[in-house]
Amino acid sequence: MKLAARLKPFNTPLTLVAAVLAIALLTQLLDISLLTRIVTVMFVSLMLVLGLQLYMGNSGILNFAHIGFMGIGAYTAVIFSMTPEAKLLTNSDLYPFLVPLHLPFLPSLLIGGLVAAALASIVSYPLMRLSDAAAVITSFALLVIIHVVLLHWDRVSNGPRTLFGVDNYTTLWVSVAFAVITIFAVYLFKESSIGLRLRASRDDRYAAASIGINMVVMRWLAFMTSAFIAGVGGGLWAHFITSFKPYAFYLSETFVVLAMLVIGGPYSVSGAVVGTLVVTAAREVLRGIENQVNILQLFPEGFFGFTEVVLSIVLILILVYRPTGIMGGRELHWPRRRQARSAETNQPENNIS
Amino acid sequence: MITLEFIINILSLGSLYAMLALGLVIVYGILRLVNFAYGELIMVGGYTMYLVTLYTPLPWLAVAIVAVLAVMLTSLFTELVAFRPVREKSLTAMLITSFAVSTLLQNGALLIISPRARAVTLPQIFQTSVMIAGTSVPWRNILTILTCILTLALLTLLLRRTVLGIALRAAADNFKMTRMLGVPANTVISTAFAISGIMAGIVSIFWIGRSASVTPTIGMPPLLVAFVATVIGGMNSLTGAVVGGFVYAITISLLGVILPPGMVEFREAFMFAFVIIVLLFRPEGLIRSKTSVERVG
Amino acid sequence: MLELNEVHARYEAIIALRGVSINVGQGELVALLGVNGAGKSTTLGCIAGILRPWQGGVTFEGGSIVGKSPEQIARLGISLVPEGRDIFPSLTVEENLRLGAFTRREKTEYRRNLDEVYDLFPVLKERLQQPGGTLSGGEQQQLAIARALMSSPRLLMLDEPSLGLAPALVDQIFELIARLHQRGVTILLVEQNVHRCLEIVDRAYLMNTGLIESKGTAQQLRENTDIEGIYLGMQGQTKK
Repeated sequence: MKLAARLKPFNTPLTLVAAVLAIALLTQLLDISLLTRIVTVMFVSLMLVLGLQLYMGNSGILNFAHIGFMGIGAYTAVIFSMTPEAKLLTNSDLYPFLVPLHLPFLPSLLIGGLVAAALASIVSYPLMRLSDAAAVITSFALLVIIHVVLLHWDRVSNGPRTLFGVDNYTTLWVSVAFAVITIFAVYLFKESSIGLRLRASRDDRYAAASIGINMVVMRWLAFMTSAFIAGVGGGLWAHFITSFKPYAFYLSETFVVLAMLVIGGPYSVSGAVVGTLVVTAAREVLRGIENQVNILQLFPEGFFGFTEVVLSIVLILILVYRPTGIMGGRELHWPRRRQARSAETNQPENNIS
Repeated sequence: MITLEFIINILSLGSLYAMLALGLVIVYGILRLVNFAYGELIMVGGYTMYLVTLYTPLPWLAVAIVAVLAVMLTSLFTELVAFRPVREKSLTAMLITSFAVSTLLQNGALLIISPRARAVTLPQIFQTSVMIAGTSVPWRNILTILTCILTLALLTLLLRRTVLGIALRAAADNFKMTRMLGVPANTVISTAFAISGIMAGIVSIFWIGRSASVTPTIGMPPLLVAFVATVIGGMNSLTGAVVGGFVYAITISLLGVILPPGMVEFREAFMFAFVIIVLLFRPEGLIRSKTSVERVG
Repeated sequence: MLELNEVHARYEAIIALRGVSINVGQGELVALLGVNGAGKSTTLGCIAGILRPWQGGVTFEGGSIVGKSPEQIARLGISLVPEGRDIFPSLTVEENLRLGAFTRREKTEYRRNLDEVYDLFPVLKERLQQPGGTLSGGEQQQLAIARALMSSPRLLMLDEPSLGLAPALVDQIFELIARLHQRGVTILLVEQNVHRCLEIVDRAYLMNTGLIESKGTAQQLRENTDIEGIYLGMQGQTKK
């Protein structure tokens, strides 16, 4: 009796985690290698989407730099996790002081996250004072800067060439573990006093300021945390895909993550989860169609881009007809509970909807 | 080092970037929307030129006109179908929509035409040069500068002498008040998108004219340029956009010459870092202007 | 001519109007009085189409205008001069006026309105080519009203025209409003300057926190001591 009562406030994250674990178990049992791959990368994506939700959902500001931090985390993590020999093999130009660095998987991931967060904290503190429109433009500029640096800093990132030879540490259950932790972290942030204060200033910055909420600091904390999650997620992804280029951390990936969040619903943690699941499933189906058409050689030039075309159309439709996404700002519960809408919605008063 | 050739190159590049930035600012001034799909309009221009030269025997000038029209229509179409329904909702929704439209157009080209580059036939004149004061100057550069001057003149005429133009400038000052005077919002916004499309169409002719080929991703570099030029010039001002375009051209050319080999590739990063600095300290842009006269047009 | 019937309106969660009913007859000069936040500007906003009432009706010359866009309402002949004037700073005085005539662009009517505006506001004629942003506060107020007049409005609504102006200019503005009233323009005036208002208007409504607290002719309201109680300290004047 007592346990159930204590668990009640954690109903949402537990429900979400239960869903995640169920999917993971099913995947493990079916033991189809393609499915395992899809699900593993889905949980890594989930981590990234959750990281974005933490910032966007609570502050209401679009952050285009998110995937940039993923890239920073990825490149940093592999510098630490790869053996010196492996590093030199892929990038003979690597800075000598970086070569001998070698740490186990987990610390490498964390350092990746910390570097991303550190950069975010330095860069973002002055940015947080900008108006919303300027903040979005700035985040986009940041993404471009990170991309250009990763693309040209050969001695660190191997430039535009593929960085290969990364160990495949990210297994299904590794990604599940991180997904679960992230779900709790993002939910707790949302329900914490920081999350509350951030949402208050999102809805009415003047009222919030008048009761002493320092919006700049709140945003900055959220931004940093979001970047940390992105960094760790990037490291995880690097150790799944085992070889990558800077283009993996630019606009295509940004689009996918953004689509997952917006379609699912940016104002709740459940939205992030649902969006990731739905979009991943949709993408696999669409990709299957693409592959079939290509195999049948129906299009002489190849049938590419179908997935993205459909996804972008769906995204536009969602923005027009249901801007708060599938979840509409609500969180999942088990069992389904009925409550007055006003108490339940997390969506902002005058954003998107 | 500052030769006539260098100067004309910069003027030509500046003209191109100025027209590019104008197309972006005209929509931003009214809607506060940075249209991420703007770069893709240039891609549409390129593919139109490719398709028209492939399937019709039209002379090159006609091809160019068709391309500009096609881009204008595409711009209007995106406004009607994607931006208008979300306009009332929020700026964030519009921004995400523009990002989605950008992805849609890019992948649409990928799907319908090909992921591989397509060669675009250029007119003979783009490959010839003329001798001026002892230096060989490509006709293409001269045409770019002349087109820019002509376009600016026409645009200024439109904005200052016609009621619609006055309404556009008013909308950039205060959109709500403009509506309250009875000016239909849709007319103003559609006109802005049309002008944006025409500018992108013109730019596409000269942009493609430099590389003679078009790919689905060709829209990204011009978007980034327009972006930077707009912020430098002040996101509210058409004159600012023009100046911003020239400043960008001068700066990036100078950086290309000044920076040592190891740093040159990071030019773009520097420009974008500059953007962030401008946004932080002088969000109204580098161009000092009385709030009154220089604001728009 | 204009009738509001139990209008309720809100900004998101904040309820601004809680059942407002007023009417303005043709040729009348009616005032909406009240302190800041009473809901006066909100009421004007509901009429002008900026804000949509979630309950209640607004009819103009017999037809409902609830839910119409600002452009449509302007075309019906309702002209609002907002608080803060909202002239276009980067347009010249002439361009401001020209845009004001957007719904009445026909040549002879345009010229007639322009001449009338020059007659009422000679200073604007002097500054025709100057950008609106370079005008003084008083001149901008005149430009805003002139711009509204260019559309031959059937109903002119003024939101705090005397706000922020020097006393001499305040006199000018009220004189101007009285003159317009004499010429037959129907005016709905929102003001905080109660005494000056009651000197020139036919009728007035007193608003408080989203409701009409009292109404009547200027004479009736002047004899009502409740106004003093509200404005004590605001205007710094006591009647007794």
